[in-house]
Amino acid sequence: MSYDKPIPPKGTHTRPFWEGTKTGKLMLPRCRDCNRVHWYPRHLCPFCHSRNLEWVQGSGEGTIHTFAVQHLAFGPWAKEAPFVTAYIDLKEGDRMLTVLRGVDPNKPESIPVGAPVRVEFEQADDDTFIPFWRVVEA
Amino acid sequence: MPGTLYKAAAIVGAAEADQIGFLNTPVTSLELHIQAIKNLSEQTGIPIAKIDGVFSAGWSTELCEHLGIHPKYIDTTSVGGCSFEMHVHHALAAIHAGIIEIALISHGENGHSARKVGNGGAGNYARGAGSLSPGHEMTVAYGLGSAPSNYAHAMVRHMHRYGTTREDYAHIAKVTRDWATLNPRAAMYSKEKHPFGGPITVQQVEESRLITWPLTILHCCMVTDHGGAVFVCSPRVAASLRTRPVWIAGAGESMSHGNMLEMGDFTATSAWRSAEAAYTMAGMGPADMEMAQVYDSFTITAAITVEMLGLARPGEGHLLWKNGDAAPGGRFPINTNGGGLSFNHSGMYGMPLLIEAYRQLSGTAEDGVNGVKGKQTSARTCVVNGTGGSLSTTGTLVLMADD
Repeated sequence: MSYDKPIPPKGTHTRPFWEGTKTGKLMLPRCRDCNRVHWYPRHLCPFCHSRNLEWVQGSGEGTIHTFAVQHLAFGPWAKEAPFVTAYIDLKEGDRMLTVLRGVDPNKPESIPVGAPVRVEFEQADDDTFIPFWRVVEA
Repeated sequence: MPGTLYKAAAIVGAAEADQIGFLNTPVTSLELHIQAIKNLSEQTGIPIAKIDGVFSAGWSTELCEHLGIHPKYIDTTSVGGCSFEMHVHHALAAIHAGIIEIALISHGENGHSARKVGNGGAGNYARGAGSLSPGHEMTVAYGLGSAPSNYAHAMVRHMHRYGTTREDYAHIAKVTRDWATLNPRAAMYSKEKHPFGGPITVQQVEESRLITWPLTILHCCMVTDHGGAVFVCSPRVAASLRTRPVWIAGAGESMSHGNMLEMGDFTATSAWRSAEAAYTMAGMGPADMEMAQVYDSFTITAAITVEMLGLARPGEGHLLWKNGDAAPGGRFPINTNGGGLSFNHSGMYGMPLLIEAYRQLSGTAEDGVNGVKGKQTSARTCVVNGTGGSLSTTGTLVLMADD
């Protein structure tokens, strides 16, 4: 079945990220001056305001910062409800939004904040692989 | 004789984006803004981090988030091509008033490139969720939409950090409904007024329909129709009127992010900064406040806000309601109209906060509105806090009754 949920429009400076996803790489923007990784991709480093940025390959590892279970959703996501959205603390720093995989949305008390997660990619169209994160089995 | 604002401020630098004109490589409006701001910073030697006021024609949230700054004065006046001259005027007044010292006025508009890449880029109210905002680009895939779908993440983090429970927050909904049952203008005043109106129990809050776990529908504000207005006047005008003045003792504002992705601490809003400014201006502190009107878009919003305002310790905001302090007859009334949870909430609740604070402090709550009576308290000071976006922006006022 073809992917029917919203597909991100691509900006003018995020191409390296989307190219990376096609080969299973999580590319992250990093500042060459202060060495910090930031997310989402900026036109300048949000920490030191340098424009001297580069793309580096991330580990694809992180932890759950917080989450919620979406019982009321709209558009094509409505039929997926309930599903779990989560903010992921990246191993390299800063944070990413995702729909969490490998968890039971009907047992929210069983979903541990701080649990390790790993990124995976789902193809949405010829040009788009969307990152999702899955709880790593203990 | 010169006016009060005569030479109260000056323009100290001016810069543009790297490339302007008919660009071969398309740019977004956001990128044009950011390039110009960075170039202005380098020209003047003023670090971007030192900017404390941000003025733009609808872009201020997106710009501040992208720059990672948390200004004390935010203006998005967008009334056409003259907006920027007005921004200078507004900045002049803000600087003269001592609120800010470094005002950024910024413009970016990809009128040519828009034909190739669209004119999005401002993921905020002014232009809707811009298709080329990188924050939007990296979050649109994940099924979030409504306000509760975002706010619930803050409640889960608050519970994780402080060991609070959903039932703790349910007391906020219950007590706020108690206030609504004293206010005939509240949408949830009674069963006669609305099928789901009248008193509710904590258990009912807990067992109502799930919207976004852990938020049930009774943890969420309503969406009603509401209109309101207030006048702010000089002391001279105020003295000439037959209505009683309520004095603005302090005011402050700030923001921490636009997109919740950029909310660094999910258990805190920028209200601690806006409140600090308001209390400082007023020469007062939380201990001097006798009531509060706070935006209760969700129970968690109210709980975090009273913590940020210094009315409760971090992690203990809900206790004001649970212990009865905030309830009718309690020592510290909060949301005496019934709040966004049970009075009215049309989408933006800032105006009802002002109206209820005015009515309480002017002693006119029992006079009612349009002939319908409300519930008068004896409070003489009130802290008012509005929250906007996804726990993103805050404005705080310290208001005082007339002597």
